[in-house]
Amino acid sequence: MTRKIDAMVPELVILHELFGAATHEASAAMCRWTNGLITLSLDEVREIPLESVCQELDWAHELVTMVVLSLPGDVGGEMILTFDEANGRRLAAALLGREPKFDGEWTALEKSALTETGNILGCAYMNALTRLVGVELVPSPPYFVQDYGASVLQQALVSQAMTCDQALICRTAFRRADEELNWNVFFLPTLALRKRMEDALHSTT
Amino acid sequence: MTVAEAVKTNAAPFVGMGQIVTAQPPTRLLSVLGSCIAVCVFHPRLKAAGMAHVVLPDSAGHSGSPGKFADTSVPALLAELEKLTGAKAGYQAKVAGGASMFAASGPLQIGAANAAAVKAALSKANVRIVAEHLGGGQGRRIEFDPLEGALSIEIQGLPAIIL
Repeated sequence: MTRKIDAMVPELVILHELFGAATHEASAAMCRWTNGLITLSLDEVREIPLESVCQELDWAHELVTMVVLSLPGDVGGEMILTFDEANGRRLAAALLGREPKFDGEWTALEKSALTETGNILGCAYMNALTRLVGVELVPSPPYFVQDYGASVLQQALVSQAMTCDQALICRTAFRRADEELNWNVFFLPTLALRKRMEDALHSTT
Repeated sequence: MTVAEAVKTNAAPFVGMGQIVTAQPPTRLLSVLGSCIAVCVFHPRLKAAGMAHVVLPDSAGHSGSPGKFADTSVPALLAELEKLTGAKAGYQAKVAGGASMFAASGPLQIGAANAAAVKAALSKANVRIVAEHLGGGQGRRIEFDPLEGALSIEIQGLPAIIL
């Protein structure tokens, strides 16, 4: 149920522009981190009824590998980097200069490679948004989590759920050359941050 | 049948955040929980059940779907069950969820707050909690069967639990 940009409400168009700019910077950071292998593009900015979030995101029922970064405070939110298992292991192996292995527990070093990826992406996004919105956004250290996607989403959406029955979700897609990867970054801003972003863009138009 | 298939065929409706869903056999109710609480209220004799997926402890005058808040979800769930069965009494409850998925910043531990609020709401409604599985730091995938009144819980890396 992805809405095309021209069918989005004006507020979402504004947010799409802003996140697009931040994603461009995050893509440059990811490209440097992976020696040119991986790039990002903004896939969608949409509002989903809270009750439907898990249904709309196919991975929510399943066990997913994730790196989570929190932006504490009223003007903040959560960023969740999701991987399917195989590609997550491939990325960790490529970063460590090893052959990937697809079974067994994740080692501390593999988890560290993924959390550092999350850290680099998170900081690139937040530095861009800080500059574009004029509010300092400092992410927490990243957490490596393997659990049901919906379980993590619920805690990430608590702040939005307090005052709204809709969830604002921004999704970024990853590519390796011409191949779309089954990874995503989801950014779930608080309502206060969303308002600051909209105000920042309105003030420049 | 996978969870996705069960949900798609409506063999087992998925109860999303803030939703209240009732069911009779053979339909089962599914959900996935993090900090949220599943309040499963059932009538052991009439074989009907409902699940509320509670997100927050207290409506505090906020508007929103009644299933979202512990204080509004329990009365709303009981009202739906009374419409389904005609019975005002004889219900029991099983509850699960309320995890802390990653370190919460600030004093609000939403999972624990949800658990306390749900227990208070059920007590106020005179519905006895006969089983619970709350807290911890991991997600839960759950299924409630109205025929047996059984709540099954899957947690990654652990054997399945049936309450």
